[in-house]
Amino acid sequence: MNTVMVKPERCIGCRHCEVACAIEHSQSKTLFGAIAEDPVPKPRIHVEVGPGLLTFPNRCRHCDPAPCLQVCPTGALSRDAETDSVLVDYAKCIACGACAMVCPFGIIQFERTYQVALERNVNTKCDHCIDRQREGRIPACVEACKTGALEFGDINDLIRTTRKDFTFKMLTPSGGEPEVPEVPENIRAFRDIMKKITEMGIFQE
Amino acid sequence: MYVDPKVLKEESEKRSLDKTDQEIVQKAMEDGIETVWDRLEKQQPQCGFGQLGVCCNRCVMGPCRIDPFGGEPKRGVCGATNDLITARNVLDDLATGAAAHSDHGREVIQVLLETAEGKSQGYQIQDVEKLKTVAAEYGIESEGREKEAIAKDLALAMLEEFGTIKNEIQLVQRAPEKTREMWKKFGIVPRSVDREIVEAMHRVHMGVGADYVNILLHALRASLSDGWGGSMMATEGSDILFGTPKPTTALANLGVLKKDEVNLVLHGHNPILSEMVVIAADDPELKKMAEEKGAKGINLVGLCCTGNELLMRHGIPIAGNELDQELAIATGSVDVMVIDYQCIFPSITDTAKCYHTKVVSTSPLSKVPGATHMEFHPDSALDTAKEIVKLAIENYPNRNPDRVRIPDKPMKMMAGFSEEVIRGALGGSYKPLIDAIVAGKIRGAVGIVGCNNPKVKQDFGHITLGKELIKRDILVVETGCAAIASGKAGLLLPEAASLAGDGLRSVCEALKIPPVLHMGSCVDCSRILVLAANIAKELNVGIEDLPLGGAAPEWYSQKAISIGAYFVASGVFTVLDLPLKVFGSPNVVNLLTDGLNGLINAAFAIEPDPVKAADILEAVIEKKRKGLGI
Repeated sequence: MNTVMVKPERCIGCRHCEVACAIEHSQSKTLFGAIAEDPVPKPRIHVEVGPGLLTFPNRCRHCDPAPCLQVCPTGALSRDAETDSVLVDYAKCIACGACAMVCPFGIIQFERTYQVALERNVNTKCDHCIDRQREGRIPACVEACKTGALEFGDINDLIRTTRKDFTFKMLTPSGGEPEVPEVPENIRAFRDIMKKITEMGIFQE
Repeated sequence: MYVDPKVLKEESEKRSLDKTDQEIVQKAMEDGIETVWDRLEKQQPQCGFGQLGVCCNRCVMGPCRIDPFGGEPKRGVCGATNDLITARNVLDDLATGAAAHSDHGREVIQVLLETAEGKSQGYQIQDVEKLKTVAAEYGIESEGREKEAIAKDLALAMLEEFGTIKNEIQLVQRAPEKTREMWKKFGIVPRSVDREIVEAMHRVHMGVGADYVNILLHALRASLSDGWGGSMMATEGSDILFGTPKPTTALANLGVLKKDEVNLVLHGHNPILSEMVVIAADDPELKKMAEEKGAKGINLVGLCCTGNELLMRHGIPIAGNELDQELAIATGSVDVMVIDYQCIFPSITDTAKCYHTKVVSTSPLSKVPGATHMEFHPDSALDTAKEIVKLAIENYPNRNPDRVRIPDKPMKMMAGFSEEVIRGALGGSYKPLIDAIVAGKIRGAVGIVGCNNPKVKQDFGHITLGKELIKRDILVVETGCAAIASGKAGLLLPEAASLAGDGLRSVCEALKIPPVLHMGSCVDCSRILVLAANIAKELNVGIEDLPLGGAAPEWYSQKAISIGAYFVASGVFTVLDLPLKVFGSPNVVNLLTDGLNGLINAAFAIEPDPVKAADILEAVIEKKRKGLGI
């Protein structure tokens, strides 16, 4: 199963993924077109701030079994056989919010989309960029991420990278070049400073 | 929507240190007013590329950004690396700050010129002694001449500094020879005020060099053109026109606003119009008019650096620093807020709309939608000032008493410590101060300057660092928002000497001065430079040899980058609490925090914890003492 893995330590909160997602879910598929559309397309991935101003890009995990799919009373949610993505049939969605109640990640959202002619909100959660995937392209958020915080691939392959690195570290304690590089010293220094700043004002926990 | 007052109180304590500020922060939240803290929260997360300095948005091959984790992309489309992009961004920011200070300086000198030519309205040359002193530096003869004639020559000579082809700004000569030799050696003597800023703009263009060190050296030169040029002229010009500050007592915090008087808040940086408002508010007809409208008088209060300028020269009470601008309005008691320029929130008119407050913009370069524009011109300044006071009086009856809450305890403070006053208090020479430093009663001195930044609890950085330093017998001199913070906290009182170490306390008690000295507005950081230069000259050393330090806790502005850089370039080690936008380039971080030591014997440190910042500054001071053999 292909999925998007998140490496939170590499997210720097730039929100490129959010912008790329909104553009992908616009009619025009271009930045300058998208901002002029009605309804304005909204991102389906959200970069939220946590302790120490660290950030995490949160999106639909396309669970299997998916709680949202199981509880949807109208059958608006379904699973795509080819990509395993959990998809929404906007015409069937009644915006009851049952899916949002059971979603463990809080990623369901109700917004307008150009695919629904009526002025009503529907579940516009992440569709795993199903159109792009069918063309053999990776999701827009992953393509937009320039720090490697988002990766797309077979879940076991992505996990295996981390496993290999761990093996590498176990056997070469003196160091070496792991596949996933460590967070550089300057970034760690910056994060230490920002953490201290969060202890001195409105970002206090 | 009902919110538990306890929650609001807790939130207000996170936002601001001062109790009176907290009270109004809470009122603003109760009133549902959006403030700077709310906007900061809505901006989260803030872009990491920007924060790390590796975002380049200069040309249309871009915008580009570099992967700060060392992966691809490693270069912008043009080929710029993280080092180059970061250095260019620093230079751009710094040039913006230097331009802001220096353009302010230019406007003051222009008013000086028009006053000398008899073309201005309401202005007089008030400090003839200073006029003659500065004129002498420019080789202008004073003997037997009218003050206006001297002032005209001086104003023209100073205006020429902005584009001079002499290849050196005259006021640079005030620096000790050893420091100037260092500047010559590294090619950073400022050649003219405008030239360094124009050259900075040239250098951030694509394809004008790729050496980050070369770019940052120019940043130092541009900063020197501000500190020893534009800012210094702003200070000197204002002193000549409005008088050199002398010690004065005044009141600080939002409690200076009055329930039963017409409240005018003077906000911004340039005192040229506000000085006329001070005169206008004394007009008997206007006073009578205020009484007719039911007010007991006309209450002028300052805010930010315009406030500092008026406080230093006239003891006008000061309502607060940068983050107090919305709070002042949220008291519901401000009839008119006069703005000139710099650090005025673009949303200030929307804040004002929530109450009866009228915002009056006065500078042609600083118009704000929703403000009443009453433009300042030197030849009609007093008339404009009177119109503004009249507008405030007419607006007074519109105040809704039910929405007014003013904190009830303004803090007493002392201000007005110009370099001339400090020197004079010591008997005309710095020898007594030097003796106290040699004897170890005073270990050294630190200039705490800079802004507020909502990322840090308002005033927390300034006050914690200030208290920590005086405890260690380190004299503190302050300008800008830092000085206002200390005013609100009671550190600008002679009684605050009880918080100082034994040595500093004894000196303060003998001279009846506070352990933290208010030296003026942010352009008055030039007073700190002159102070340091004069001490160095008496000892025949460079500024870089003196046991001094600088700090900009809570800084936010590009002007603070310029100040920090001219402190460092002048040989004063400087600690910042919020990081410069450079952490995406380890090379630039290393140069600014370490490499510069080898070039100019000073560098930056970045340390958000004010107690640790004090440790760093104390260590630098002790090192310099050792270097001097004391």
